[in-house]
Amino acid sequence: FLGAGGGNDIQWCFSQVKGAVDDDVAEADIISTVEFNHSGELLATGDKGGRVVIFQQEQENKTQSHSRGEYNVYSTFQSHEPEFDYLKSLEIEEKINKIRWLPQKNAAQFLLSTNDKTIKLWKISERDKRPEGYNLKEEDGRYRDPTTVTTLRVPVFRPMDLMVEASPRRIFANAHTYHINSISINSDYETYLSADDLRINLWHLEITDRSFNIVDIKPANMEELTEVITAAEFHPNSCSTFVYSSSKGTIRLCDMRASALCDRHSKLFEEPEDPSNRSFFSEIISSISDVKFSHSGRYMMTRDYLSVKIWDLNMENRPVETYQVHEYLRSKLCSLYENDCIFDKFECCWNGSDRQVEFLSLIVMTGSYNNFFRMFDRNTKRDITLEASRENNKPRTVLKPRKVCASGKRKKDEISVDSLDFNKKILHTAWHPKENIIAVATTNNLYIFQDKMN
Amino acid sequence: MLGKGGKRKFDEHEDGLEGKVVSPTDGPSKVSYTLQRQTIFNISLMKLYNHRPLTEPSLQKTVLINNMLRRIQEELKQEGSLRPMFVAASQPADPLSDNFREAQPAFSHLASPPLLPADFVSTMPLESCLTPASLLEDDTFCTSPAVQHDGPTKPPPPALQPVKDSFSSALDEIEELCPAPTSAEAVAAESAAVDSKAQPSESNIHKPEGLPESRTAESKLMDPLPGNFEITASTGFLTDLTLDDILFADIDTSMYDFDPCTSATGAASKMAPVSADELLKTLAPYSSQPVTPNQPFKMDLTELDHIMEVLVGS
Repeated sequence: FLGAGGGNDIQWCFSQVKGAVDDDVAEADIISTVEFNHSGELLATGDKGGRVVIFQQEQENKTQSHSRGEYNVYSTFQSHEPEFDYLKSLEIEEKINKIRWLPQKNAAQFLLSTNDKTIKLWKISERDKRPEGYNLKEEDGRYRDPTTVTTLRVPVFRPMDLMVEASPRRIFANAHTYHINSISINSDYETYLSADDLRINLWHLEITDRSFNIVDIKPANMEELTEVITAAEFHPNSCSTFVYSSSKGTIRLCDMRASALCDRHSKLFEEPEDPSNRSFFSEIISSISDVKFSHSGRYMMTRDYLSVKIWDLNMENRPVETYQVHEYLRSKLCSLYENDCIFDKFECCWNGSDRQVEFLSLIVMTGSYNNFFRMFDRNTKRDITLEASRENNKPRTVLKPRKVCASGKRKKDEISVDSLDFNKKILHTAWHPKENIIAVATTNNLYIFQDKMN
Repeated sequence: MLGKGGKRKFDEHEDGLEGKVVSPTDGPSKVSYTLQRQTIFNISLMKLYNHRPLTEPSLQKTVLINNMLRRIQEELKQEGSLRPMFVAASQPADPLSDNFREAQPAFSHLASPPLLPADFVSTMPLESCLTPASLLEDDTFCTSPAVQHDGPTKPPPPALQPVKDSFSSALDEIEELCPAPTSAEAVAAESAAVDSKAQPSESNIHKPEGLPESRTAESKLMDPLPGNFEITASTGFLTDLTLDDILFADIDTSMYDFDPCTSATGAASKMAPVSADELLKTLAPYSSQPVTPNQPFKMDLTELDHIMEVLVGS
């Protein structure tokens, strides 16, 4: 049972690492999003160069029961290209901000990928047979001279090497003036929302030339703008409910049945400021970088710069739990402001649902600096810090917990705050929906860890 | 700077900004507080205006930085001025408010005479500030285990002097190089308290009413920044800051007088708004340099002399 022992009782082992080995990171290779599909068989990454790489898990080998299937490259395609906005004389980045999978309905897989401006629906399909034996065409496609045809035959499908094709089926464009930060598929699997800094739009997956604006926080006078939308997500079960978070640390829950334009929230979640922690940077560090509903939809999790908070949807005035990710950074906020690290957008994710007990959201995972990532067990209240690095990782060796020494004497094996590498940040992590397999993205590498199966 | 375990650098930097307070008394805490605030303000301005992205800058980042600047300016306004309505109001010549600027922007007609509240700091409880200086007690920049409310009313100790001097050295340097300013406001500026290069005046938070052409910083920020200074130059923030720091001592501010009756500078006065913008354009390279108290101003001023001659067309 996953939750009984908790994050610390899961013994995480290195499984694989994908990506270039050398330290010189090509800009285009910077991973910008990571997402498992609904079965966990496929793992997609998006990068700054606009590419999507999908890994597929090998089918479990019954004889090798001590390890789960490895992930190998399944498909790679260029999702978005850089564009130029001639009106503003600015480039539109091809960086993939988010990928969201659709649940599988047939043999093909579908995912939504988005950059700052355009969302695309991609179909990923396999081809392992091809027709052979046409009457009028040669095998290479050239047309035969009809006069040379003396017999007729029926073309047949013959096996071929597996080919995985990705084709864009829908392009949802020209609906966002500002930068898209989130996409979320509705539980009806027919509609989805896309959110930018100031607006949220509702789309139907089949219709690309029309979207409906459901939230608009753009002030009439832009000089009065003090707050932007930072993330949005549909409720996992209620197809008319969604939430969006803001740069001021608030979360608004909206019901689309209430009105066409959900400018008035049904609920407003906000924690009062702790006066003892107030500083120049209070607002910036309260800005929420990610929001995720729990599997049941009863809770939601938010990530701000220093902490992860769990909210009960029935309680608006404060979170039910708060976990400090890297509190030792609180005294470094000015430097982090100066070098822009304070604006880093860390994501967070829940554990997958266990085979035995479904829909329990008990463990929270999020990234930090120095290629560290953190897990918090809601039951035991224990937490662990692990590192994604090639040096220390051997397959089936349990990862060693890390510790950052905030101040004072540094113990052996501890790392002092001053030695942290702030260029090595883990912003994106994902948890397999059904098993204890996690994908952790460093700048340009993807690490896969599994729990040690006994 | 923070980096790949660049320990030494980080420590030095840390000491400068987030590390030790000079002494544990409340006076230097206030100094540290205003120093921090000034530093953050400078950093914020640089972030907004020195960024030349090929792509649109992040709106969220811009909004957060903008909010930071506004908050600081609100604080400065509350602490310093008894006339918040004046757009280009002067700062009080308070020796204790280390980082206040006495200099006026070049739009002299909007200025009001400097105020001299005697010991406003001692009467202004720090509780009313956004961040109590007591947060600095344990040497950290931003947090404190306990919020203290005693002590803010103590008069500032003489330990302020060294900090003041380090900032005024840049100011002195300018004044050495330049002829005596002709305007009353510039004279007041000379007797100003300390400052560093990128000093805000409290007018920044408001649109300068005397500049119908200039858009506010916020409206400029919210529009996508193409990354050239033609647009950023006309924002409220940069206008005040650049002109304050570089021009005031040198330029005969009467040329910016909008009074159409001014005969000698009649033509110049019409040009004034244009001149200001063009000046700022040419000053763009200079404003992109990091702000340090010992910034050499000499070359800038020579260039400016030349530019001014060209623009004035004499």
